[in-house]
Amino acid sequence: MTVQSAGGGLDRPNASSLADVIDTILDKGLVIDAYVRVSLVGIELLTIDARVVIASVDTYLRFAEAVNRLDLTEGQQHGLPDLLDDINEGGAKSRTAGALEAAGEKLTGLLSGGESENGRDRDRERAERDRRR
Amino acid sequence: MAAETSVKQAESGQRTAIYVYGIAPADVVTTDQAQGVGEPPARVEVIAHDDVAALVSEIPVDRGLGTPADFSAHARLLDATAAAMPVLPLRFGAVLADRQAVTDELLAPNHDEFAQALRLLEGREEYIVKGRYEESAILRELLNENADAERLRQAIAGAPEDATRNERIQLGEILTRAISAKREQDTASLVEALRPLELDTALREATHERDAVYVAYLVDTDKRDAFQQAVDDWAEQQRGRIDLNVLGPVAAYDFVAGRGPEG
Repeated sequence: MTVQSAGGGLDRPNASSLADVIDTILDKGLVIDAYVRVSLVGIELLTIDARVVIASVDTYLRFAEAVNRLDLTEGQQHGLPDLLDDINEGGAKSRTAGALEAAGEKLTGLLSGGESENGRDRDRERAERDRRR
Repeated sequence: MAAETSVKQAESGQRTAIYVYGIAPADVVTTDQAQGVGEPPARVEVIAHDDVAALVSEIPVDRGLGTPADFSAHARLLDATAAAMPVLPLRFGAVLADRQAVTDELLAPNHDEFAQALRLLEGREEYIVKGRYEESAILRELLNENADAERLRQAIAGAPEDATRNERIQLGEILTRAISAKREQDTASLVEALRPLELDTALREATHERDAVYVAYLVDTDKRDAFQQAVDDWAEQQRGRIDLNVLGPVAAYDFVAGRGPEG
């Protein structure tokens, strides 16, 4: 849980990652073309505009592999159905939270961009978005 | 987007243009710490016209825009401005020919519209609530609820990857669809939880396959504590399932889209 509530709350600006910044400034905000036409200057944009999630075979295979890993690491002591029942009964207070966090990808991987798995996802999503145009 | 209306400049090197970050009240001032886009970072200037002003930088036209430093500079300048006064953030990449064009084509013809929008933003700030599913937790939840997915899981368990490619794709597709449905439900749940605060709300498109909620809120400063509390309460309900972040305050990017490019 990374809600910024422990310290100064919302008074203290919560730093956005580069990925968050890109989501915002390439996809939101006033579009100048709507206000000005004549004097627009086209400057080459080095990066492609904002991304959307596009489901792909790669995404599917990654999810399937994640499911596979799930079983390998935690299916030995309990049968899967038992675990699933635990999760359901536990609800918000899931007993396995610690293990799940350890297994989950870390959001901070996005900060550096490019080299993480998420970075590659983003590049591919961009590329697919372009191809659709 | 401006880049697509590519106006090619004949000579390179000396030509400059005016990059526009956003629109603020005319009494906006910039400090020496304000750094613009480009390398080295451009100086940030104010071009005022009556009650409104544009935050701009002079930049060379022969250098592309869009490095991580450029993105950060754009966002940081506008977020810092938003912390002190209302500001209408422009989408990244707005470039006009010269200072005169900023006044004559941007500020003067749209003066009243900008001034009114700035008044509406007075005393309010944008926060972005962003949540991502914990992978293991959401997969378990989906397998438990979806018999087809569970059957496919069993089919691929222990089997060679190549031999079960079709099953894997099918499983992934089911899970992707199921996560979309969860995303809708959870977004509705968050929106409902914050509804009593009566805040302006803007839903964002998911930008990651495990995005759970992505919602922008325009928060009146006197509702900030209540907003924080409501988000905390919802996050607590989702503990272990959704990893929640609140970003902000940021410039009100999600609440200024008054006009489309065709307007």
